[in-house]
Amino acid sequence: MAISNDKEFKSALAGLSASQQRQVAARFVQRVFVLSGDVRVKAALDFAARADITDADLTVVSQAANSARVESFTQCGKETDWTAQGGHFVAKAAVACVKAAEPADNLAWEAAMQARMARTCETVATGEGTENTEAEEQYRILEAFLNS
Amino acid sequence: MNDMQFLTWVRGTGLDIAVSIFVLGVLWRLFEIYSLGRKADISAARSVSGASGWHTIFRRSVPPEGMLKRSPVSYIGGYIFHIGLAIVVFLFAPHILLIKNLTGLSWPGLPSQFIDLAAVVTMAAMVVVLVDRINKPVKRYLSTFGDWFAWTLTFLPVLTGWMAVQHLVLPYTTMLALHILTVELLLIFLPFTKLFHAFTVFGSRWYIGKINGHKGVAV
Amino acid sequence: MSASLEKGVRVLKEVIDAPIASYFSSCVHCGLCAEACLFYTETGDPKYTPIHKLEPLRRLYEQEYTLLGRLGKLVGLSKPVTDDELEEWKELVYNSCTLCGRCSAVCPVGNDIVYMVRKFREGMSASGHAPEGIIGAVNRTVTIGSPMGVKLPAVKAQMKHVEEDYGLPIPLDAEGAEYMVMLSSMEIINFPEYLAAIAKIMHQAGKTWTLCSTAFEATNAGMQIGNSDLAKLLVMRIVDGAEKLKVKTVISPECGHAYTALRWEGANLIGRPFTFKVQHIIEVLGEFQEQGLLKTEGFETDKLTFHDPCQLARRGGVIKQQRNLMNMVSKNFVEMPDAGYMNWCCGGGGGASAIEEGEELRMEAFKKKKSQLDVVKPDRLVTACANCRIVLEEGLEHYQMDIPVLGLTELIAEHIPDQTSEKGA
Repeated sequence: MAISNDKEFKSALAGLSASQQRQVAARFVQRVFVLSGDVRVKAALDFAARADITDADLTVVSQAANSARVESFTQCGKETDWTAQGGHFVAKAAVACVKAAEPADNLAWEAAMQARMARTCETVATGEGTENTEAEEQYRILEAFLNS
Repeated sequence: MNDMQFLTWVRGTGLDIAVSIFVLGVLWRLFEIYSLGRKADISAARSVSGASGWHTIFRRSVPPEGMLKRSPVSYIGGYIFHIGLAIVVFLFAPHILLIKNLTGLSWPGLPSQFIDLAAVVTMAAMVVVLVDRINKPVKRYLSTFGDWFAWTLTFLPVLTGWMAVQHLVLPYTTMLALHILTVELLLIFLPFTKLFHAFTVFGSRWYIGKINGHKGVAV
Repeated sequence: MSASLEKGVRVLKEVIDAPIASYFSSCVHCGLCAEACLFYTETGDPKYTPIHKLEPLRRLYEQEYTLLGRLGKLVGLSKPVTDDELEEWKELVYNSCTLCGRCSAVCPVGNDIVYMVRKFREGMSASGHAPEGIIGAVNRTVTIGSPMGVKLPAVKAQMKHVEEDYGLPIPLDAEGAEYMVMLSSMEIINFPEYLAAIAKIMHQAGKTWTLCSTAFEATNAGMQIGNSDLAKLLVMRIVDGAEKLKVKTVISPECGHAYTALRWEGANLIGRPFTFKVQHIIEVLGEFQEQGLLKTEGFETDKLTFHDPCQLARRGGVIKQQRNLMNMVSKNFVEMPDAGYMNWCCGGGGGASAIEEGEELRMEAFKKKKSQLDVVKPDRLVTACANCRIVLEEGLEHYQMDIPVLGLTELIAEHIPDQTSEKGA
């Protein structure tokens, strides 16, 4: 199927199982991982990409990813380093990938949104403004995942 | 100078000097402080009933939530000796007589045994708060010569007055003269030490009540 | 901005007024202010006693404004305020004070200690003794226009993010809108969810609103460091924006000190009353709730508790609204001990969290918040200040407490049924 807008994107994601959502979410976040580089984020993404992850594994990487998220906040009054702030959203996206899933959650959508925010931070940092093609790239990833 | 001359002096000249310095000192200090004024607050006020300077003057006498157990001696000891002082000063017949001679006003006093008890309780409370000031790290850290001096200035009149009534240690005339002298010292120094809070507490509470009342917070 | 001791002393002499004189004259060294201050209660170090944080100002007051003090100065008996002393006081006035105001709440003689610390900071700043972390914010405000270096592109990034996620457009520079929404730097940078929540709520309430391209930021570094000129500059920007767009109300975001700076200091800084109302977002939500404009669905069932941001509740007078809002969407809302007016500070406000050297102290002080949470044992913690959120998360992380933190505005918005809208506001 071809995905051409966010409505289709979101509902296609919602139709996936939690495990499938984690796998595709990990691919979204992988695209922006370079903005973070944090080993805990990497660990979370590696685990999320696997189809056979256990709840115990999830808990461990979840905690680590959350620490990465909390540590990368920009403090009130500090100068904003937009590239670093992108890293914060990458961590946030990784947290979405490995959090315990409630029935109504669309954690892949959450991860996708945070990944887009990370990309936007990067383009703000390089002075290119807010336009980027991250959404379209995510559609392509999802299409490829569904077809495989 | 013998006992009678000493007593006559403190009752006469001494009292005149002390009261003059006291009155002038109080007026001067009030002027010195409050003439500095305050800029008007032109932010839009939020009016909430019960939030004003006047309310705070009274409400601030009640310990805020959770504070009593953090420092019971400060509150309980403080209340006891303040109230005790008020009872001894204003409800003891000889004092009321003195005030009547000075101002014409008078009111019924309390039986002397009651005043005696009040004096003892006041002194005990004052000793407790003094010990607390020495023992508690924060109080000790903050305390300066002014604190010990103020305590002494306040304690001595109660002690000497009580001793005079009990006819302890020194002959009555001497003890009474000493008592009046210590009161005069208290009067002279009051406006220029932390004891002046007796007057400024109303202004301070009023200001904080008003400034916060403007925001609709009842403090 | 050249700083000097002379300048600092001059500024301090100017800020001393009748209230300050009355307060210094009333202090009886009872030490109760220390018992209310989390920096003292969690460290046991008496140097953090609030009134002690003002010692240089007290001496200056004596030497300049009392007869005996001036006489003492004349005969060389007084100890002047020096650069070294002010440098030593930097930690006391900034690192260990968040302007939370608990000290003022308990002083038995009615001393408004936080009022005095706020003024003392003016002298500290003018004499060059403010912490580096905050000086940076001040410089950035002057050169870039924003304490944290936030510019319009960043706001537009958020707007785009929100529009994608929710399908709700964000109005920018819409003249005649009823509400002008301000964001704190922290929200622009760290919490884009806040803007989304606002969009959803305003849409449901049917209110017109807008962001302003020249005045989107509410954070006032001038107020934190104690530089009234700067604080005034930042407020003026907002006033110009609001008047240009002819809005009725400016909404101050989930940030404590931004509210204090705009709502209470603003008019006094610019020297004239505002021609518009200023409300904290929680006040606005409270109003919407009362007027029946907030229609929520469903309830959170896990155990929630609320942390009152100091500048909102104790210092700002917004205390009941957050509770009413919590009860609207939660079946299991439990108050922490000392909740409301006497709640304990998160430990990071007033610029404190920007001071790196102060981190260890803040973590110590956090034990107080931890002790409140240990009593309630909530599943999640709700608050209404972006800085409190981060400080709380860091503290919880440090003490390995697994309690997610969320913002009240977002929580309310989560319970508003999704409407992907065809039209904007």
